[in-house]
Amino acid sequence: MEANKKKLDQLSPELFQPQKASGDESEKISRPSLNFWQDSWIRLRKNKGAIAGIVITAIIIFFALFGPMMNEYKFSDQNIRHAKLPPKIEALSGISWLPFDGKDADGFDVYESRQIKETYWFGTDDLGRDLWTRTWNGTRVSLYIGILAAIIDFIIGISYGGISAYYGGKVDDIMQRIIEILVGIPNLIVVILFILIFEPGIFSITMAMVITGWTGMARIVRGQVLQLKNQEFVLASRTLGATSNRLIFKHLLPNVMGPVIITTMFTVPAAIYTEAFLSFIGLGIAPPRASLGSLVNEGYRSIQSFPHMMLVPSAVISLVILSFNLMADGLRDALDPKMRK
Amino acid sequence: MVRYTIQRIVYMIITLLIIATATFFLMKLLPGSPLQNTERLSPEQQQIILDKYGLNDPLPEQYVNYMVGLAKGDLGLSFQYDNRPVTQILGDRIGPSALLGFQAMVLGTFLGLLIGIIAAIKHNTWLDYGSTFLAVLGISIPSFVFAGLLQYYVGVKLEWLPVALWGEYKHTILPTLALTVFVVATIARFMRTEMLEILNSDYILLAKAKGISQTSTVVKHAVRNALIPIVTILGPMTVGVMTGSLVVERIFAVPGLGEQFVLSINTNDYTVIMGITLFFSALFIGVIFLVDILYGIIDPRIRLAGGKK
Repeated sequence: MEANKKKLDQLSPELFQPQKASGDESEKISRPSLNFWQDSWIRLRKNKGAIAGIVITAIIIFFALFGPMMNEYKFSDQNIRHAKLPPKIEALSGISWLPFDGKDADGFDVYESRQIKETYWFGTDDLGRDLWTRTWNGTRVSLYIGILAAIIDFIIGISYGGISAYYGGKVDDIMQRIIEILVGIPNLIVVILFILIFEPGIFSITMAMVITGWTGMARIVRGQVLQLKNQEFVLASRTLGATSNRLIFKHLLPNVMGPVIITTMFTVPAAIYTEAFLSFIGLGIAPPRASLGSLVNEGYRSIQSFPHMMLVPSAVISLVILSFNLMADGLRDALDPKMRK
Repeated sequence: MVRYTIQRIVYMIITLLIIATATFFLMKLLPGSPLQNTERLSPEQQQIILDKYGLNDPLPEQYVNYMVGLAKGDLGLSFQYDNRPVTQILGDRIGPSALLGFQAMVLGTFLGLLIGIIAAIKHNTWLDYGSTFLAVLGISIPSFVFAGLLQYYVGVKLEWLPVALWGEYKHTILPTLALTVFVVATIARFMRTEMLEILNSDYILLAKAKGISQTSTVVKHAVRNALIPIVTILGPMTVGVMTGSLVVERIFAVPGLGEQFVLSINTNDYTVIMGITLFFSALFIGVIFLVDILYGIIDPRIRLAGGKK
């Protein structure tokens, strides 16, 4: 204490200047005014995981869109003479630790021994179909199913939850009882039963997942709307004579968007996972079409001698789900205003 | 509490009835019958077989018969395995599934809690980032991919453990590992969030201010409170293990319920599909119910009966 006091005495009074205490200054907003989305974007940018997720997703979507066009093979082209070839990419074949040198599990150059001049970047399957084209085609199907399921969940969930919460009373009661019973049914069972009855296909698989999938979204929307609809800004708008439509679309919906977007982002990987799972137990996309799940399933049958057939689609599907999860995690943190520092 | 419990039991029964009814009528919509090689059987023989399964009765009568049988614990006869009751098939198959599920849950909970606690204590260090990333990875890699990789690298390449089949204890190790990844990841993520919230709370600050050691604060004050909400993810975890068992049992050729389910789907054995569907549903509903009741008992802050409206 004493030492500190001495130090303080050594400082001359000229070093200090009184802070101007004008009213305008202290009221000035020093940080730039940001709306909710700008603010969230700043937080999202700082999250390395989320950025990695966005980049990986962008790359995968790029290949899903354009990958199948990058070589001359079609996803259903069969060539028995070229069956079961390991992956080979000329540019990368010099790097020994990468599995793209055209050698099989025992280090034997199959391309040379079978005198095949063409190269298959991801190898071929047991019918000689090009795995590069099939993998990216399958990614396309998987992404399509995931995104479609998320959009339908989004639409049904928002309408159901919104109506239930906005009108309240008896309507809410009945609508909530229905949800309670639906939630009690394990959704995998519903999905499997649904697909047993309708032919497995992109549309029926999506519908099967939607049947129980929308309940989570509806519950979140309902909770949010219930919280919001009694707040002052809604009351103020109502007093000014706003119609129901205006209240819902101008005031309630924009405010529930945060949690809704997060839920949608988590729906996509969950749907992709479920589709892959169904394909793996033989209830998915029918050949010659492929999804990532059915490719893993086909590859799994010959994993002992031709591991590339399973490893390639496995890696892609894991990356897809991982990047979506990272993005959704990042968004959840970014959209939470409590995280603002 | 008593009123709430009764209400929940009524709901459970209604849900189960709806599931049973829905599965029954869905199965009737499906093509196929227990008749195989129809061309070799005379019409009389076909009639006899259909009579045996009660498939000549009018639909409402079949439905009543099925529901009455269900109430008595009778799930009918399998279409594929001659004259074997579905309950017997389920009984034979339940052992391996239960063992794997139990092992995966116990191991997963233990590892998950450990990882979650460490990540929270070492918040914002490389330990935290590493374990968080591993947890996201664990949730993202589908169980069949993980099972396939385990089988290939540990079973085929390294030959440390048997590739598949069932019998000795060592056969259970790989399937358990494949099933447990999901549990570890889910619990670790959940525990980390819970712990972080609690470590920032006032009573932890008070405990620290009193001069209680770090270990004792974490063990006695933080972990004990963080454990309570963990009970709620028991439901999703059961579903995860159940779902996982379908593919993991198929990959490792484990004679369990999941493997039977997939087999029955591929052979159109409708009565068995119905039986396993009902069993899985009942298990799921039962776990959810148990969680809700347990939660009210272990956390006195929650009063279920009063809390509901």
